[in-house]
This record gives sequence, structure tokens and C-alpha cells, in this order.
Amino acid sequence: MADRQLEGVEPLAQEDALRAQLYRLLANGLSAPPRAVDLANYAALNGDATPLGQALATFARIAVGTPVETAKREYHDLFIGLGRGELVPYGSYYLTGFLQEKPLARLRQDLTQLGVRRSAATSDPEDHVAAILAAFSGLIDGSFGAPLGLDEQKVFYIKHIQSWMPVFFRDLEAAEVSVFYAALGSVGRVFLEIEDRAFEMV
Amino acid sequence: MDQNTDKVADRRNFIKLAGATAAGAGATVATAGAVAAKPAEARPADAMYQETDHVKRYYELAR
Repeated sequence: MADRQLEGVEPLAQEDALRAQLYRLLANGLSAPPRAVDLANYAALNGDATPLGQALATFARIAVGTPVETAKREYHDLFIGLGRGELVPYGSYYLTGFLQEKPLARLRQDLTQLGVRRSAATSDPEDHVAAILAAFSGLIDGSFGAPLGLDEQKVFYIKHIQSWMPVFFRDLEAAEVSVFYAALGSVGRVFLEIEDRAFEMV
Repeated sequence: MDQNTDKVADRRNFIKLAGATAAGAGATVATAGAVAAKPAEARPADAMYQETDHVKRYYELAR
């Protein structure tokens, strides 16, 4: 629940804080087209020689050469389109082929149980890829009360992220209308590969 | 040695070796200027999650 105990909580481990940041980066990137300030921030990313570092470096390089208008058009073509964009970024759609099916209901139930409420400012369904990533980011770093323990994180991850997002990020990487978002898709795919293996160790 | 402690250390080392920590340090910078929900603001996807075109599209598709 939202009032998970805050006392006696250990400080967030460095790697968990950084995982939360990566989830937040992906959530921000997918929630709406980037503003100029977002693109400038992405351009400042750098990475080491690891696959994730390389994916981030590529994303940063592409952000440098992407005008706001281009990113906006890509976002529109990918997710909005004429009646339907190239991708439908909702968990329920990926898992069942339809929107607002059982996976959304299960997600709502789990979020309620974890004390995460949808803002009154949005009527957006909770299973939008960016909404799930933002929620998980907050569960990891304690934006919704005490940080969620790894065991509980694993349950949420398997149900609501691992179950479809790797496919979504691969689709994003391969999407025909996307250059900027393809690069973000690579970041997501590589990061979730790390998460998959890391959760096997929990 | 406690097996559980071993596992936690394994996982931590794995994540570090995989580059998530180095990369994450950069991501901190990248999200600093964004409208991300800040810790302690007990709000979910919301702060950053406004009604936009994809929402309108959603309800079109859901009909």
C-alpha cells in the first residue's frame, strides 16, 4: 500500500537508483515527443564500451542531429498516425491483440495494491508503455512510499514488463518511420536484457 | 557466507559490469531537466503523463 513503512528502510543501492533513472529515461522518451531541452539532455548522454553504453551513445549521437520537428513527426507516425500509428504501445494490445483487456485490469489491480494511483490529470490507460515504465521507476526508487523490495519488483517485472516490452522495444528498433526512436528502442531492449538476467539472480 | 548475501552481491556486480551504472549516471543528467516524477512526490505516471494525442487515439481504437 501507499503507506509502506518508511522507517528502517535501507538507503537505495547505487545500482537501483541508476536502474530507476534508466526506466525514467525510457518513460520520458516514450511519453511524448521531446522538447528542445529533452533533446539537449539526451545529447549529453554518454556510454562506456558495454552494449548498453554503446546503445546510449548512439541514442545521444542521434539526438544531436534530430530537430524537434523531426522527433515530433516520428512520434506521431509511430504512435498516433492516421487512425493508427505503426505501433500500439499498450500492454494489453501486445498481450492479447486488443486494448483494455485483462492485462490492463491485472495491472490496475497490482498498482492499486502497491499504492500507485493514476493522476486525475490524465485519462490515459495505465498500460501505456511509458506509464508502466514510470510506475516501475517510482516503485524502485521509492517515489510511492518505501522502495519496493527486489522480490516484489521481480513479480511486477515479470508480469507487466518482461511479458511484452522486449517485443515492443524490438518493434521500435525495427520501425520503418523511426530513426530517433529506433535508437531509444535499442536502449530499452539492451537494458531489459540486463534486467532479465539480473532478476534471475533474485 | 550467507547465500542470500552472495546472490545480492552477484546481482550487484552483474549490473555494474553490464554498464547500467555507468549508463545510469548519464541518464541522471538526461532526466534532470525532464518532467519526471521526483521521489517523495507520491504520484505515479502522472506528473509527466499528460493527455496527448496518443490518448485520443487510444479511445478511437478502443471503440
